[in-house]
Amino acid sequence: MRKIALALVAALMLSACGSGGSAGQELSNEPVTLRFTWWGSDERHKRTQQVMDLFQKKHPNITVKGEFKEWNGYWESLATTVAANDAPDVIQMDELYLSSYAERGALLDLGTMAKFLKTADFDKAALDTGLVNGKQYALPTGLTTYSIVANTDLLDQYGIDLPDDATWSWDDLKRIGGEVSEAGGGKVTGVQSLGFEAGGLNIWVRQHGAALFDEQGDVAAPPEVLASFWTYVKDLAAQGVTPPAAVSVERAGGSLDQSGTATNASVFATWWNTQLSSLTAASGSKLRLLKLPGEAQAKSRGAYYKPSMYWSVSSRSEHPAEAALFVDFLANDPEAANIMLTDRGIPANTKVRESITPKLTEDDKQAVAYMDGVEVGPAPRVTPNGASTVEAIIKRHTEEVLFDRETPEQAAAAFIKELQAEIDGA
Amino acid sequence: MSALGELQRMRRGSGGTLGGKRDNKAAFVFLLPWFAGLLFITAGPIVASFLLGFTDYNLIQPPTLNGLDNFVRMLGDARLHNALGVTLIYVVVSVPLQLAAALALALLLDRGLRGLAFYRSAFYLPSLLGSSVAIAVLWRQIFGADGLVNQVLAMFGIEGKGWISDPSTALGTLIVLNVWTFGAPMVIFLAGLRQIPVMYYEAASTDGAGKWTQFRKITIPLLSPIVFFNLVLQIIHAFQAFTQAFVVSGGSGGPSDSTLFYTLYLYQRGFANFDMGYASALAWLLLVIIAAFTAINFWAAKFWVVYDD
Repeated sequence: MRKIALALVAALMLSACGSGGSAGQELSNEPVTLRFTWWGSDERHKRTQQVMDLFQKKHPNITVKGEFKEWNGYWESLATTVAANDAPDVIQMDELYLSSYAERGALLDLGTMAKFLKTADFDKAALDTGLVNGKQYALPTGLTTYSIVANTDLLDQYGIDLPDDATWSWDDLKRIGGEVSEAGGGKVTGVQSLGFEAGGLNIWVRQHGAALFDEQGDVAAPPEVLASFWTYVKDLAAQGVTPPAAVSVERAGGSLDQSGTATNASVFATWWNTQLSSLTAASGSKLRLLKLPGEAQAKSRGAYYKPSMYWSVSSRSEHPAEAALFVDFLANDPEAANIMLTDRGIPANTKVRESITPKLTEDDKQAVAYMDGVEVGPAPRVTPNGASTVEAIIKRHTEEVLFDRETPEQAAAAFIKELQAEIDGA
Repeated sequence: MSALGELQRMRRGSGGTLGGKRDNKAAFVFLLPWFAGLLFITAGPIVASFLLGFTDYNLIQPPTLNGLDNFVRMLGDARLHNALGVTLIYVVVSVPLQLAAALALALLLDRGLRGLAFYRSAFYLPSLLGSSVAIAVLWRQIFGADGLVNQVLAMFGIEGKGWISDPSTALGTLIVLNVWTFGAPMVIFLAGLRQIPVMYYEAASTDGAGKWTQFRKITIPLLSPIVFFNLVLQIIHAFQAFTQAFVVSGGSGGPSDSTLFYTLYLYQRGFANFDMGYASALAWLLLVIIAAFTAINFWAAKFWVVYDD
């Protein structure tokens, strides 16, 4: 008797742990209101609202209320609503924060909602980017990959040939960038800046056969590799290939429209390939996507597919089934995809990607072609719990190096120590 | 001026005994809305933050007690030490400059300028706007690489730089911003100057005292309680500065942490790093620091503040 009682208790506890939302496994016939939050630009807000209207037309008993913000402020506000037990049901998530939320139990394992949320048309490699500890806490909306955006109008103007991006090295970038800076006479620099976002450092470390984080989620970048990165960043600035430090700092704090690429003030710059159409619109120049320098000489491929963002569902959602249904609509519905196009990256859903390709602009087509043509290595581990501010730490040490307050070696050591402390403290 | 009079009386330790019981009752009634707000809106979070200061709390999972860990951690936290230094420089440099500007303008306006009301409002305006987001955004523009300051400098053939994006000058621009908001202390100074009886000056000039001597021997001593009042207020205010640095640096406290005000670091720990336990402890350290500065101020006041009846 006692054994049965124990087993019962254990079973109850297990089921309680397993899925907090077992009550919501079926769709309700009653009116349901979902809250949906995302960050983005005005363009995205408009398109997303259209998709929400479409969904509500098809599911008249479900109302979706949108809460949208800018990237700055989005995470503070999300943390506060989660702390207040008032999290939105459907959350646009980023790779930087995925672990921080998933490992702390704030997100629903989407695998438990397979009945409503289909993932069959997703590439497995893409799906895996949403795994944390083997569970699908997030579904990637789209993919993006790091690239060099080159302003071919300016290159033509200066009579400088476009480098061969199949073989070019970081030294080539420095050399050609230097030629551009000279021709530009102080108004135009060869390279926009480096070291103000996580992508550049990540690529550098990967090309040296290492990774920023190991599988356990600890900092794994060797200090000498990091030091070589900051030495390179410093060289670019010292030789005038990038603008003076203060200008780089100011631009890095601005929006895309204020960047060197958008204002035609620099020829080469690192960007995610899907940003091409916004950059073309802002600059009015002919821009071209080039493969990353150093790939031909590298120990291992630096390039990788990064999920541009994810869909997640709050673990405390009162309507997980409806939330999953809505995510299913966002991820799989062809009509929804026709509205969103590549706004949230080149769709990770292969069927959707095919269906929207004919409707894309020239720039978006170039971005898709680039994505298909680039050779990538295995995706890096999701940013570990606690390390979501990694970009801010990189940026700060780049500033320290550029303003001669730290040597590249000191920056490397301090970076590792600080980042590891954040991970250990989480 | 009655508030200032009250402050003077409090300093002398005679506050409260002057008013009758009926006055007190009326005061309590008037205080009620404020008190209710304090109790229900402010007091709860104050108590909560005190308790959270002894926990590890990541906002998502329930807090767990960790004793004095947060306070021990402060000792080895290099960014905190930097933030303390930045904030101290800001307080120690900007407050005296701000008060000096306020006093200078108040003296100028006190000479019976025509259109005094207009000037008073015009100079007061910045202190209403100073800590707003709009002004901070404007500051970014003014001190940016292509900003107003550099355009003016260019007219004289001087090549400027990105004032807010260079760590050696970024804090300076925020200090200038704080000095610019001298309107609030200025209005109080102005009211104080009006309280000084004209006969003192008449008597002094009859005895042959020049303007400078009059300023030193009459204005400064008789105005000292008001200088003291402004000093205490503005120091507390400066320690709590947040918006300016947040907007100007885009929330980072950069470049290279040169504008990382204490409150900004606290905010980063709490909301960007999911470190609310530590952030709560930091808030209490700030309270202690401000209390200590205020206590020192009150102690030092004995030596220079003159209370004249």
